[in-house]
Amino acid sequence: MIAAIVQGVLVGGTYALVACGLSLAFGVMRLVNIAHGDLAVCGAYLALMAAAGFGAPPVLALVLVLPLAFGVGALLQLTLFERALRGGELAPVLVTFGLSVVIQNLLVTGASANPRSLDGGAFALAGFEVGGLTLSWLRTAGFATAVVVLGSLHLLLARTGFGRRVRATADDPEAARLSGVRVRPVFACVAGISVATAALAGMFLGLMSTFDPYSGGLILIFAFEAVVIGGLGSLWGTLAGGIVLGVTQQLVALWDVRFAVLAVHVLFFGVLVVRPVRA
Amino acid sequence: MRRRTLLKGLGLSALAATGCGTSIRGSGPTGEDRIVIGFVSPRTGPLAGFASGDSFIVDTVRRTQAFAGGITSGGRKYPVEIVVKDTQSDPNRASQVARELILQDRADLIVTSSTPETTNPVATVCETQGVPCVSAVVPWQAWYFARQADPAKPQPFTYTTMFFFGVEQFGGCFVPMWERVPSSKAVAGMFPNDADGNAFRSAWPDIIEDAGYRWVDGGSYTNGTTDYSSMISAFREADCEIFINAPIPPDFNTMWKQAAQQGFRPKLATVAKVLLFPADTEALGDLVNNIATDSWWGPYMPYTSSLDGSTAKALAEAYQAASGKQWLQTLGSTYSLFEVAHQAFTAVDAPHDRKAVAAQLRRLSYTGISGPLDWTKGPVPGVAIQQPVGVQWKKGKDFPYEMVVVDNTLNPAVPVGADLTPTNP
Repeated sequence: MIAAIVQGVLVGGTYALVACGLSLAFGVMRLVNIAHGDLAVCGAYLALMAAAGFGAPPVLALVLVLPLAFGVGALLQLTLFERALRGGELAPVLVTFGLSVVIQNLLVTGASANPRSLDGGAFALAGFEVGGLTLSWLRTAGFATAVVVLGSLHLLLARTGFGRRVRATADDPEAARLSGVRVRPVFACVAGISVATAALAGMFLGLMSTFDPYSGGLILIFAFEAVVIGGLGSLWGTLAGGIVLGVTQQLVALWDVRFAVLAVHVLFFGVLVVRPVRA
Repeated sequence: MRRRTLLKGLGLSALAATGCGTSIRGSGPTGEDRIVIGFVSPRTGPLAGFASGDSFIVDTVRRTQAFAGGITSGGRKYPVEIVVKDTQSDPNRASQVARELILQDRADLIVTSSTPETTNPVATVCETQGVPCVSAVVPWQAWYFARQADPAKPQPFTYTTMFFFGVEQFGGCFVPMWERVPSSKAVAGMFPNDADGNAFRSAWPDIIEDAGYRWVDGGSYTNGTTDYSSMISAFREADCEIFINAPIPPDFNTMWKQAAQQGFRPKLATVAKVLLFPADTEALGDLVNNIATDSWWGPYMPYTSSLDGSTAKALAEAYQAASGKQWLQTLGSTYSLFEVAHQAFTAVDAPHDRKAVAAQLRRLSYTGISGPLDWTKGPVPGVAIQQPVGVQWKKGKDFPYEMVVVDNTLNPAVPVGADLTPTNP
């Protein structure tokens, strides 16, 4: 029972790590990014390329992947999302859905449909014992990363001048613009951060399991559920949402593993029915 | 209101009538001058790993004298056309392309390969349209029972046949390997809640208990599960030292990594459905070392092509030279689909006589690159059984990991290449 809860919390951490970029983009820009999962997969492929090209371990590949992902995110915002956001509520959903299809097909063409995985060396396969529980270093690191990323995003938004501008823009872009905030760079930065966290999450997923050009969809579903359960656009809520998902999955698996994933979706459905969250 | 419904009904029936008309005309055997063979496989999408050698095989077959020179049927020589279709790993698209092959390309025979998601929709379309069809690389139980109106009272099919093996061959292949590793005799089973997983879960316990082993079910989890800690701790508590499964490849990867993290190291892993192809091993790296699986084809098979006499070894080497990639088991199966087509067409009097071709397929018996295939001795009508051997992934010379035969109990004609080594000592 305790083992299941602890494992659930760790799994929840990875869900939250994927979800935080989604949550940020929605919280600030009201952008529902359907391509978020596919961008995470792109991050994993980039890390794979860096690892193959320079022989760098995945952690060092981050030095290369994260700035690149940030740039891609900012560019997508300036060229694509910005226009889509002006086109009403449905347009961003459709545009990012289209982007998702484009990314999947480009990845199939460029990298083939073969499932791939990142080699984390001995670290990725090692475990440690705490009070009778065997925990994986990798999953623990994934959870810690999620907490650190969410924590620093929170600090960034709550404590810095940049964060103040972001919050002001999120509340009312027009008023922010009138008070001298340059909205476009702010949004571009937020989109960049969002995609960078997606790439980071993608790398962890690549270390834990396999990815192929079509894995983005499943990644997105869990991330989306974490965001919705935790309250749309709330960062700590996203972590809580992820943990609730993970623990639910593990506890139900104790009873009957058949219903573990179903229970997660039912929980999501239940939250939507009982407490529809409005941003 | 009633008038409108009536009109609508009339319109629909008129539409249905015209629809029927074209389909009857369209499906009639018209192309009198050539033989058209349709080939359906998952070229792209998640199942693309199965089909990565298919283009090479189709090119190779087209170049053989048997195909390039035309097929002689009923004393007349017909040029042959092979039309290739991709299912994109989607069952709906599989039935759609099968219809295209029948209605537009006027296929005389459709051959199809790789997983029930591909073969079953294609075979179903062929059976209803009355077009001969041969399937491969699908467990026969999943192919035969899943397409029955009532699986409890199975009816033989008229137009559709297949060759591969079934759950009983997995048992026959794996149990002798377990016997050679001293263990606690507890078998851990990882089977998802899907067609293959449920078929295996219902068949394995009897095989395991008959062999004197204890069966520990990991539970019928959902495909795409990202955490297997509860399953792994159940296996550890039951002291399982043998591991069997039939998951989708990404799930095995996740599970196997997590098993390593949490200290579940079974002495012997005999896996099914995963690690069949070299592409799967890339993702797992050194964790595949000495994992055992089944092999129904490989360069070690002592068989030769019925089209031009070239050996299995030569075919695998030609593929490696042409593609730069490691050989894979489906090369032999895809090749044999065209051997079977050749056998059937040369034996009938009129290649466009679908009933005759289908009847010939049901009583065919020949030996080709996949070894002896005999449709008269199958477990059910229309099925020919191959005998797989037990192989292990071991560090190779030309590629990081290569399949090596370690057990030939089911098929003694295949030479053993190395000793069986425990997966985890």
